[in-house]
Amino acid sequence: MIGTAADCLAESLNGALGDLMETDESVVLVGQDIGRLGGVFRVTKGLQERFGSDRVRDAVLAESSIVGQAIGMSLSGLKPVCEIQFEGFIYPGMNQIVTQAARIKARWNDDVALNLVIRVPVGGGIRAVEHHSESNEAYFAHSPGLHVAFPSCPTDAAAMLKYSVALGSPVIFYEPKRLYWKRRPQTRDGSEPESDLSARVVRRGSDITVVGWGAVLEEVLKAAELVASRVDVEVVDLRWIAPMDVETVLSSVTRTGRLLVVHEAVGFAGVGAELVATVAERGSGLLRSPMRRLAAPRQLYPPADYEEHYLIGVSDVIGVIEEMCG
Amino acid sequence: MLRHMLMARGVDEEAGLLQNQGAIDLWLSCRGQEAAQVGSALAIGDEAVIFPSYREHAVAIVRGIDGVSLVAQWAGRTYCGWNPRKHGFFPYTLVLAAQTLHGVGYAIGQRLQNMAETVVVYVGDGATSEGDMSEALNLAAVESAQVLFICQNNGWAISKPSHEQMLTSIADRAQGFGVRSWSISADDPDLTYLSCVEAMQYVEASRSPALIELRTTRIGGHTTSDPHTKYREPDELATAVANDPVEQYRDTLVAEDVVDEQWLSSVDADVAAARRDLLKAFAQ
Repeated sequence: MIGTAADCLAESLNGALGDLMETDESVVLVGQDIGRLGGVFRVTKGLQERFGSDRVRDAVLAESSIVGQAIGMSLSGLKPVCEIQFEGFIYPGMNQIVTQAARIKARWNDDVALNLVIRVPVGGGIRAVEHHSESNEAYFAHSPGLHVAFPSCPTDAAAMLKYSVALGSPVIFYEPKRLYWKRRPQTRDGSEPESDLSARVVRRGSDITVVGWGAVLEEVLKAAELVASRVDVEVVDLRWIAPMDVETVLSSVTRTGRLLVVHEAVGFAGVGAELVATVAERGSGLLRSPMRRLAAPRQLYPPADYEEHYLIGVSDVIGVIEEMCG
Repeated sequence: MLRHMLMARGVDEEAGLLQNQGAIDLWLSCRGQEAAQVGSALAIGDEAVIFPSYREHAVAIVRGIDGVSLVAQWAGRTYCGWNPRKHGFFPYTLVLAAQTLHGVGYAIGQRLQNMAETVVVYVGDGATSEGDMSEALNLAAVESAQVLFICQNNGWAISKPSHEQMLTSIADRAQGFGVRSWSISADDPDLTYLSCVEAMQYVEASRSPALIELRTTRIGGHTTSDPHTKYREPDELATAVANDPVEQYRDTLVAEDVVDEQWLSSVDADVAAARRDLLKAFAQ
């Protein structure tokens, strides 16, 4: 399958994985139900038929085994791409990720490449049961030695996945679930990111910079469009949580003088706090109004009937933009 | 065999003394486990990649890693003082049993790339309580991974004795996962060597995993910061010291005329040189 601009996220990732496996025999996939079933979100659909069960490996039902064996496979010369079925199930593999994958390069005195991607479907808004709707990127952003990717659109996701697979350093690769099969994303300005790891401006504006990543960027772009007659909103897609491209954000804030960070994850000790703090340290003189964060409260993700109230909605974003620019 | 054991003992003693003087930060003695380590390491041969735990100093010495490289990480100079690929001896893993899954994954990875070398994983008895150990045994079994697990059971997980750590033997547990296993007394390096050769041959011939439990003795504390006399009975400790495998093996080989004084003095000179190197590198 060749990825096209019209693909949804799941199709785009499927195409990217197929391309990667086609061009590099050392790429192998490891995850629960990714082979026969094609993954619970069908991201690996058809790949086992194409590349065989040696390279598209249905894993045992144990996340520590998935990550731990992938570390060993990587040391043996392969480029494993793991799938954790839902972000809420990554914790049994957390020890292998944080104390092992993230540290192995340093433990080897940087004399080893650890090619390892851990794909993680993330976030809510799909009426899922407990442990299937959280956003837990902050845990991994906090750990030295990990890259954390958080694409918000199909084309970026494919490019970022291809970059991650041969990076030589482990990547936690988040895939927003509610974008997997979304066909009509908000339109974005076509500016390309400056480098593989850069953030990107996806809408030009002059009154306020709104930074987001992942699925919530859809709400941000929608809000920007709805307030366009009153406020000219610039939107930055952070794309990578770690390393974090603060330069692109600072350069945007230089133009707009205002910064709002929106994220789906809990706000307390979250990634937005890091971004706001860094801008405060480096660019507070640029600001016309106090910076704000719009994020989930420090409460458990609720049962599906209540998630609409818990998630950041378009009207929430509009409300804060208007307060800041009023 | 004896040469490696004497060298390991010399490096181990010197490192302990250096720690006592504050020249290095911590040392995890392998005193008492030299027969298990050298016997198994020689049985493995040169080819297999080894995923160690953190006390396999005598195995490292068999693999050609010198004392200074071995001690460097315990002196705060590095995370790993040797070249892992060159020696086929991967870095120590201090989070217990995490390396067991790496070893299994490495074996699977090698098979996928049509390389058929056996992988050896060292693990301690305490670490077998970790979930990763059970996951690794299960994964190795179900994937038929070419891995030999060598479990040194020194009877203690810091202060908790093995009988409080597990109800069945580690070897019995391995069988429950479908992994062929053996449990042997590993105070004699020759017998250890022969048993490990058998285990290694089984793994290579069957291309499936196996586990060998080496029942051995920890003469020192868990680390140099562990006052183990607090929790060990004097009689048990005295027996451990009296059964020192290095002394016993040396005496046996001398009694059987396998080695003579001349050979011993040449080894002693090498050990003394290695100890001097340690002093030079760390005692400043």
